[in-house]
Amino acid sequence: MEEDILNEIVSSEDLKKFEKKYHIELAAGNLQRQTRFNYAWCLVRSRYSADIRKGIILLQELCRTEDLSNESSKRDYLYYLALGNARIKEYTTALQYTRAFLQVEPGNQQVATLETLIKKKMETDGIKGIALAGGVALAVGGIVTLGFALAKGKSK
Amino acid sequence: MSNFSNDVLTTLKILIIGESSVGKSSLLMRFIHDRFEDDLGLTIGVDFKTKTVVIDGNSVKLAIWDTAGQERFRTLTPSYYRDAQGAILVYDVSSRVSFVKLELWLNELEMYSNRKGIIMMIVGNKIDKDKREVSREEGIQFAKKYKSLFIETSAKTKDGVEYAFDELVQKIIETPALWENTRYRQTQQLTDDNITDNQSSCLC
Repeated sequence: MEEDILNEIVSSEDLKKFEKKYHIELAAGNLQRQTRFNYAWCLVRSRYSADIRKGIILLQELCRTEDLSNESSKRDYLYYLALGNARIKEYTTALQYTRAFLQVEPGNQQVATLETLIKKKMETDGIKGIALAGGVALAVGGIVTLGFALAKGKSK
Repeated sequence: MSNFSNDVLTTLKILIIGESSVGKSSLLMRFIHDRFEDDLGLTIGVDFKTKTVVIDGNSVKLAIWDTAGQERFRTLTPSYYRDAQGAILVYDVSSRVSFVKLELWLNELEMYSNRKGIIMMIVGNKIDKDKREVSREEGIQFAKKYKSLFIETSAKTKDGVEYAFDELVQKIIETPALWENTRYRQTQQLTDDNITDNQSSCLC
């Protein structure tokens, strides 16, 4: 198998380390955003889809609750949301995230590469026609709006 | 060139590290695609690219990990240092801060890389800029101190980019202890024992 960024697996030490930190802070009622992000970053690179889904939920929460002025964090969430969804073969959702990202930063080659990779995987997996489920569009909708807000902020 | 032979001698893991916005991804883009973009955007976490090069008639596959320089990724990027045979450490010749901070990156590399003889290439990028805050001489001295290879580059004009990667790979290939065992994935203990204390010379 051709190795690429979608096949990269987090080390179990990393996953355990950041999971522990997350739970300690959570129990103490002192959960830091950076800790949540680190944990989510590990989860979406896990070999288990249950972990990846958990990571996606964390990233969505982070994205929803992020201070609007904090642009650079949001692009990180969008990227890993795309990556996580692609890894559990939710390609359509993944592509919505990469598109939202590329609307804001059309020249970003890291995301453009990821998008190409996702499309390639879709073909390999035989998903030709993209039938958009309403639920999926809704789920991503909020974040795509964020992307537009970002774009507006940038053009000023 | 990459079709020269289907037999790949070995796959090498190469890291690119350094402060944010010094041009790490631009160097990689120049090397892989021979392109330059003014606004590539900050790298998120880690990016990954591969390229097959021919060294002395042998195909060598490079797996290159381009790490984000931003502080927010610092807790997780060191995991990628594991098993790397080569590292490209980048600073921006028009930013003294990026040069001064290179020492921290070197320390981090020393701390987290598990291969003792890892080959390093220090790269002073953006020599196309008029404003210069770090002289070539300073760069050379610094590289000497850390027994690292050294080159000044411009990802924008192409200057030195090919050399930076080629020299690093050449040097790794000349140090078989760094890569000969990787195919067998022996235990780390064994691998470490096999690595001789390599004296990487400075080419300056």
